Amino acid sequence: MDSKLLKPVLAVYVAAFILFLYGPFIVLGILSFQQGPEGGPQFPIIEWSTYWYRHLFGLTPPSRIAPLPVGEALLRSLTLAFMTMVTATVLGVMAAQAFRRRFKGAGIVFYLIVLGMMVPGVLTGLGTSLLANNVVGVERHWWTTAFVAHVVYTFPFAFLVMLAILNRFDGSVEEAAWSLGVSPARTFRKVTFPLIFPGVLSAMLFAFTLSFDEFPRTLFASGRDQTLPLAIYGTFSVEIHPNIFAFGVMTTLFSFSLLAIYGILMGLSVRRAKKIAMQEDIS
Amino acid sequence: MAYDLQLKNVGKVYDNGTPAVIDFNLDVEKGEFIAFLGPSGCGKSTTLRMISGFESVTTGDLLIRGQRVNDQPPEKRPTSMIFQNYALFPHMNVRQNVRFGLEVKGLPRDEADRKVDGILDKLGLLDISEMPTGRLSGGQRQRIALARSLVVEPDILLLDEPLGALDANLRKSIQNELKLLQRELGITFVFVTHAQSEALALSDRIIVMNAGRIEQISPPRELYTRPQSAFVARFIGSNTIIPGTVVTTAGQTITLDTPFGAISGTNRIDIAHTKGERMSIVLPAEAVELIPGETDESELRGRFGSNVIPCKIERLQVIGHIMQMLVRLENGDTINTEGHVDKYRGRLTVGAPAYVAWLPGGATMIA
Ligand SMILES: Nc1ncnc2c1ncn2[C@@H]1O[C@H](COP(=O)(O)OP(=O)(O)OP(=O)(O)O)[C@@H](O)[C@H]1O
Ligand SMILES: [Mg+2]
Repeated sequence: MDSKLLKPVLAVYVAAFILFLYGPFIVLGILSFQQGPEGGPQFPIIEWSTYWYRHLFGLTPPSRIAPLPVGEALLRSLTLAFMTMVTATVLGVMAAQAFRRRFKGAGIVFYLIVLGMMVPGVLTGLGTSLLANNVVGVERHWWTTAFVAHVVYTFPFAFLVMLAILNRFDGSVEEAAWSLGVSPARTFRKVTFPLIFPGVLSAMLFAFTLSFDEFPRTLFASGRDQTLPLAIYGTFSVEIHPNIFAFGVMTTLFSFSLLAIYGILMGLSVRRAKKIAMQEDIS
Repeated sequence: MAYDLQLKNVGKVYDNGTPAVIDFNLDVEKGEFIAFLGPSGCGKSTTLRMISGFESVTTGDLLIRGQRVNDQPPEKRPTSMIFQNYALFPHMNVRQNVRFGLEVKGLPRDEADRKVDGILDKLGLLDISEMPTGRLSGGQRQRIALARSLVVEPDILLLDEPLGALDANLRKSIQNELKLLQRELGITFVFVTHAQSEALALSDRIIVMNAGRIEQISPPRELYTRPQSAFVARFIGSNTIIPGTVVTTAGQTITLDTPFGAISGTNRIDIAHTKGERMSIVLPAEAVELIPGETDESELRGRFGSNVIPCKIERLQVIGHIMQMLVRLENGDTINTEGHVDKYRGRLTVGAPAYVAWLPGGATMIA
């Protein structure tokens, strides 16, 4: 009787979930094909066109509506996300590796690291900018202060992912390598790293996406040159045209391709992980 | 003479305060096959991991070929370890696994190839040398682990329950292979197990451990015939231990006063003792004879002296050509014994009274 009730409830729930997850994107996607340049950001669609996509790349004749000022911001955000990803992942792997051995104060260090993702972003951003301006006396830039704020924010995520991965990692393969006369450094490169690589990929994905659309920290810490989320927000406060929707579709497609790359790399290493699992089954 | 491996008063206390190994002393000669035998948690793996360098030595000295290695990291020691779960590198195929340790040795390419091929051939792995290790059988993976460790030519090979994950048949055949290989290569093997049969079949000397300490170091046979403590007597084979107080001593034969009267055994390890002291007799199952209750007791006493105890037969079980017998003494203790089927068949019935008897030479005294 329970399950009779449960099924429709679950179905509705899933439908609502999907609606809220993809609904905004679908609406955005449809509206991005609005007629230009007179068509506005609302239904009905006057006439289907790819005008706003061409507008985005500067392929339309000049009109009243200025092109989105996102070119440089996009480049900045990609660079920043990449820098953050590399730094946070390297730090995350190293810190998680350090936590494999119990050391004095491990508990405190753990919470200090994790604090980076708990503290409200606005506070971190504000604090970073105050620190830079008034205490240290450096100029705020996306590649200095904002970069530091992003690393402080994403490092805990990378750290936790790697901690979970290393927790399940069987250290005896490392010991086997050492006992064959292979140095710990080479063992890490040739044995440990290849085996934890799926985890490293996940940590990288986390760090990249979190940094790419980070807003509150960047708002205060980035100084004069804006990152993409800030630039987009800036255009909202003036006037909204469907070119923003077209841009949204483009960035979403970009995210999907990022996920696809991740999926492919993951698939390759999962095939290897399956081998490990099989090995464990037999032994 | 220089020993291959020496442990001098070695002790290990883990960070959490667990004393895992206490005052461990052992000298191992080159080419010896040593087995650590003992119940779970007695410190076998810990000792092995100290020798390999994975665990630090808390107290005492560890010497390999005369050199103190307490502070040497594992990769600098001439030891190599085989793990129970094999610990093969899952992202490498068989050949890459075996070759991995050679890559840092700075050998010319073709020489390294020759060595890898040589060991793969010796262990019958050439046919599968390009396969990934994941889908191979337990026995094959065991051999890959062996090949990987042997190809770097260690002075000492350490094996931590290497056959634990294999089924009984495979275990037997790999045991034989292991013994042959060790003889042929002349490498010192230190082997950890909690299977008696394995230790008895393979090793030159067995180190019996209990609660972090060495109980006894003996060649396999002596462990049976000369247990030095009640622990070893209980752990090895199937012995009955009867405590009592010393009444008389005649040469090596000591007679004890026990709840079953005056009974005697041989003082093989020359334990100093005085009249009235408490000692025990260890009665191996093989030394005990079971005699039907109809037999005339005085005739028995003629043959066995005072070593005759009345009992009741509880269980008879034939396994192959061995009859296993369980009897209960008057005080409730039980004794296991066994003998050839032909000797006992038809003469014993479950529930009937009988006698257990033994010659003083068959029983050993312990303190
Ligand atoms: N890393 C560790 N930290 C703290 N205590 C440990 C650690 N490793 C082992 N011990 C303890 O040390 C003692 C000896 O353990 P060890 O693994 O050497 O036993 P073992 O003889 O190999 O047992 P088994 O036959 O079960 O493998 C045990 O009491 C165990 O709980
Ligand atoms: Mg063990």
